[in-house]
Amino acid sequence: MSHVVQLLDARDTALFGSKAVGLGQALRDGLPVPPGVALAGDVVEAVAGRDGPAIQQVTESVRPLGGPLAVRSSAVDEDGAEASFAGQHLTLLNVPGTDQLTSALNEIWWSANSDSAITYRQRVGLFTRPSVGVVVQVLVNPETAGVMFTRNPMSGADERVIEASWGLGEAVVAGRVIPDHYRVDRAGEVLERVAGRKSVVFRSLPEGGTVEEEVAPALVEALCLDDEQLGELSRLAERCESVYGPARDIEWAIADGTLYLLQCRAVTTSGP
Amino acid sequence: MSGASTDVLQRVPLFADLDEDELKRIASVFKERRFSDGETIIQQGSGAAAFFVIDSGEATVFVDGNEKRVLGPGDYFGEMALIDAGSRTATVIASSELVCSGVTFWDFRPLVEENGVIGWKLLNSLIAIYRTERPR
Repeated sequence: MSHVVQLLDARDTALFGSKAVGLGQALRDGLPVPPGVALAGDVVEAVAGRDGPAIQQVTESVRPLGGPLAVRSSAVDEDGAEASFAGQHLTLLNVPGTDQLTSALNEIWWSANSDSAITYRQRVGLFTRPSVGVVVQVLVNPETAGVMFTRNPMSGADERVIEASWGLGEAVVAGRVIPDHYRVDRAGEVLERVAGRKSVVFRSLPEGGTVEEEVAPALVEALCLDDEQLGELSRLAERCESVYGPARDIEWAIADGTLYLLQCRAVTTSGP
Repeated sequence: MSGASTDVLQRVPLFADLDEDELKRIASVFKERRFSDGETIIQQGSGAAAFFVIDSGEATVFVDGNEKRVLGPGDYFGEMALIDAGSRTATVIASSELVCSGVTFWDFRPLVEENGVIGWKLLNSLIAIYRTERPR
């Protein structure tokens, strides 16, 4: 079995990690996931060690994607461990192309083998060798992005909770803004919309990496999603639940008017 | 670049008894790791994952918050992590753009487990270090 596959063909969590297989399943079910390639943990390790044939294999597989790229870690460990590694393993956004991919994979491999990652693993009782798969995708450069819970994680109510901000979703995920907050019922009816304070926006740089910029004053407290987009997000939530089951935690982005699913996983906290 | 310089490894007390071929085997499992100026490489008290040799740039060593020394190309730190993955005894922070070669506990251990001669020599080196440094 190849250890470098199209994301669509990522099926084995022991090879590619739960994030890659989850996104592969989403593609197989017709969800709007950006195209990509999944790399197994051993391939990532070989590239991190500057193994020539491994670099060539990865480069040839990724080249058709063009660039820029989003390079995301996909922990290869016990079932369900992916969520618990959030913040330990790196994700690198806006890697310009295949020339910079080797360094990106080296950095991600070391993130799984860093002192802090090892300390964390020991604390949660993991004493096995770390392995990290990687998902390489076309980078979505969104106007708006954020997270969505398909069920209210605080109250447990059967409604979508959406948090959104301008630009890349990292502003929301990293807690750099007070995002807009929306509640939408299953029929797509908007129950609540509260404008946040979105003072900064993360954008991709042409030379790679991302930059944090100030948001124009008029947009700081302006709602970044309209009712039509909220309805589309609600329909995405329904499709994700039909594929994966109830209570999902979704990362999404809207670029050039198209809604993309970036990640879908089980909610790790639930109601009171 | 992959691997580490055997000349540098030869100067590490833990590896003092190893011959050229044995040093080459160990050097081959090192991977390059880059750090930005100001980035913390290892943190005193943290769990330890890897041993590093500096290829280029400088790093500063702190113990209990006090600056102890500056490391440069050819210097190394964190070798005890290869044996017991215990806590770091110092903090090391990059004081420029820094390129290191590093090897993790996970890559080093199989080398020793598969080669009793290397293991025995490491044991000898550890005893020599202990005899030199133990309190009297």
